[in-house]
Amino acid sequence: MPLEQINWLLDVREYRRVAKNRKALREPGQGTDYTDEKFREVVRRVVSRIHPRRMNLRLVEFISQTATAKTFCFERADGPLPPFRAGQYVNVIVNIEGVRTSRPYSISSAPLAERMELTVRDKPGGFVAPYLFNELKVGDLLETTGPAGHFYHEPLIDGENLVFLAGGSGITPFMSMIRDTVHRQRPLRIKLLYGSRTPEDVIFRTELENLAASHSNFTFSLVVSEAPEGYGGLKGFLDSKLITQLVGDIKGKTFYVCGPRAMHDFCRAALNAMEVPQRKIRYELYGAPEDVSKEPGWPEGVSKDVVFEVDVAGKKMILAKAGEPLLNALDRSGLVVPALCRSGECSACRIRLLTGKVFVPSQANVRESDRKAGYIHSCVSYPVDNLKIRL
Amino acid sequence: MRPKYDAIVIGAGLGGLSGATMLAKNGLKVLLLERHNVPGGYATSFMRGRYEFEVALHELSNIGPKDLRGGLYRYLEYLGVAAKVEFVIAPHLYRSIFPGLDITLPVGREAFEAKLCEVFPHESKGIHRFLDRVFGMGRDFARIVKERGVGNRMSMPFRFPDFFRYVPTIWGQVLNRDVKDPLARAVLSQYWGYVGLPPSQISFLFLAMTLAGYIRRGPAFPVGRSQALSNAFMNTFEELGGEVRMNCGVQKIVTENGRVCGVITDEEEEIRADWTVSNADPVTTCRDLIGFDKVPPRFFTKLQSSEVAASTVNVYMGVDRSPEELGLTEHEVFINTDHDFDRHYEGTKNLEAPEALGVTCYNAVYPDISPKGTCIVVLTALKYGEPWYGIAPEHYVDTKNRIGDAMITMAEKVFPGLREYTEVVEVSTPLTNMRYAGAMGGSIYGFNQPPRDNMVWRMGHRGPLEGLYFVGAWTQPGGGFEPCMMSGQMVGGAILAKIRKRQEGK
Repeated sequence: MPLEQINWLLDVREYRRVAKNRKALREPGQGTDYTDEKFREVVRRVVSRIHPRRMNLRLVEFISQTATAKTFCFERADGPLPPFRAGQYVNVIVNIEGVRTSRPYSISSAPLAERMELTVRDKPGGFVAPYLFNELKVGDLLETTGPAGHFYHEPLIDGENLVFLAGGSGITPFMSMIRDTVHRQRPLRIKLLYGSRTPEDVIFRTELENLAASHSNFTFSLVVSEAPEGYGGLKGFLDSKLITQLVGDIKGKTFYVCGPRAMHDFCRAALNAMEVPQRKIRYELYGAPEDVSKEPGWPEGVSKDVVFEVDVAGKKMILAKAGEPLLNALDRSGLVVPALCRSGECSACRIRLLTGKVFVPSQANVRESDRKAGYIHSCVSYPVDNLKIRL
Repeated sequence: MRPKYDAIVIGAGLGGLSGATMLAKNGLKVLLLERHNVPGGYATSFMRGRYEFEVALHELSNIGPKDLRGGLYRYLEYLGVAAKVEFVIAPHLYRSIFPGLDITLPVGREAFEAKLCEVFPHESKGIHRFLDRVFGMGRDFARIVKERGVGNRMSMPFRFPDFFRYVPTIWGQVLNRDVKDPLARAVLSQYWGYVGLPPSQISFLFLAMTLAGYIRRGPAFPVGRSQALSNAFMNTFEELGGEVRMNCGVQKIVTENGRVCGVITDEEEEIRADWTVSNADPVTTCRDLIGFDKVPPRFFTKLQSSEVAASTVNVYMGVDRSPEELGLTEHEVFINTDHDFDRHYEGTKNLEAPEALGVTCYNAVYPDISPKGTCIVVLTALKYGEPWYGIAPEHYVDTKNRIGDAMITMAEKVFPGLREYTEVVEVSTPLTNMRYAGAMGGSIYGFNQPPRDNMVWRMGHRGPLEGLYFVGAWTQPGGGFEPCMMSGQMVGGAILAKIRKRQEGK
């Protein structure tokens, strides 16, 4: 018999083998028993240990840092604290006078610490911070998301020489990174340049000075912009001259910037002037613009106080102010839209814009296809027209 | 009272999107529920800094250039999805690197074969014979699709001889007869990573269909990444009158008298419909959503012979250098430590450095995917999900970075400077896949595809209870982007046929 015909017979005989194989695996005790307990809610059980969607945190203590800043220390009420990467934040969800909203705060404690700490500054005009300062009591529960964000030291590419540029309350993620480096004795060399308005505003000052004194791989330089008369320390802003003076050669160093928006812009220019490549600079997010009507591209003649109607398909009609993120209006109306970074980057609050126009500042980081197909990040979208949206 | 919806689709992965759109296209009132805030399942993208990363898609099959459109394109055209998304076609299938061999294979049967024969002249006869089998299978299958089934089973061996012969066979068993050079075998089997099992285990049918599809019509990629495809589905579905709820998971599937009759959402709302289509995996659907006391035990007995397929570790890199400067001129490069794919496959079951790597640089087919002077590089290795379950939470990042680091080092040997110029990097693991797509084991292909679970014998779409259907990689025809979309078409067709039958019965 020719070989090809023999092979044909061999191939066709496989029908029997496959059938037998399948049958054998379906005998009791064979194959995979998907009724086994280990397959119950396997995705949720395995994943939520590392990435819980929600956490209930109980306030165990608060520590006054400065006249305007407090550290809130929490334990988790509904399970063990998840791991996180030093520098990440949680989004704190609150119910204030019937309005459910949220704000992201960087974690200032080190990962694996027994408590999770958030350090918050109470700024005038705030909505959530005053609530945390005045309403939250020891023993109270606070709902948050799991840790999130991408502002951390990435050992795969960041190297071991780090320069932290902090401004004001932007020290918080750095505090977590510094504590983590020290506690776990990670082989990193950190230079912290901390810009503050006045010496009184400096958060974590004593701890930072002590750590710098006892650890040769950590240095701490404080730069004060509104120094009182006779102030002996460094004065001014984190400009290229000062950074170069404190940091020296930029080669092999990775720069991290966290602070208010104005400080970001200032540091960006300074680092550009020093010819630090873009790939060596990491920026933390800073929330929605304080005054969106000052953003480039804001439509002329539109007052930020003008109110538009927003038809939320299948839900209800709400009102939204041009100068305010659409997400805030949705929060106030009682419609639940998930949110995380509230800075335009993470897309948790992504919704579909069916009709109408919104203004989107340049900080919004929206997918190419989402821009084309009409999806927006509601945390940095501002109505400049009557809208119809779908959540 | 008639329920408000004819059908509820649980999950907006590509299978769910396709099924929902198919039903809406045919006049059904459909509600699509998705737990996540972005549709697409694995067919999605994410932003890091100035880079937008494709999550999963390497190459899309059966789209084809304008003059040679494939079955998938025609289906997208029928739905109205094709008008909303543009595709580019790569000139090459892949570049394959082994110690002592570096070969790039072009699109088109003749060019593909010529290139192989140039490198393996001593195997030219065997290669030709083998490719004849691969394409013979493809031709038979295309006819079966066209004629909507094999018809009379007794006549199948005569009408579809290649299909009949190779359905139960294993790829390696057929290949090893025709081709003797182990390196030539390895190059021909390079797509094994796309089907999840090594040549010694994978169904010939499945890998042959994959290879033939890419050789004939070329690998396609959607402009705007696979999220553009998912968005096109979603917007088409809504234009057809479909209703969507994002951020709305399902906690229970409701049954009544042994029939599935709706769902209860995470917000405790009960919604009823005649048909429920689940894009969640069948075990989660039946065990966690229905409750396994309500499912006939036979269902789980049959499932015993199916095993959850591999997941992936991906290293997503935004690189501050042009692809030319890094030597990344091919969009898909496979780097192999040697040609022992069985050993590489065993390595997918542990937490060690992988033995084989896919390096995808999308800029080679889609230059605008990242800002000028930069490129996006994704390193992919198959890894099973189970070993990751036991990792202590505090060791998770170290574990994934250890593997990611080894992958970058491996890629750097071929593309020097890769790490130095990387601006952003993100490592995903099987747990990442589980977190965002909810698939058991983070599986990217549903159940594995040995002959007993190939597109002919794998789980069908009808669920164990009346009114319930499955869609997605776990069911026929199988894992991968194209099969998932086809499963939606098949489920839609099955439900429509059932409705027609009912109406005729009346």
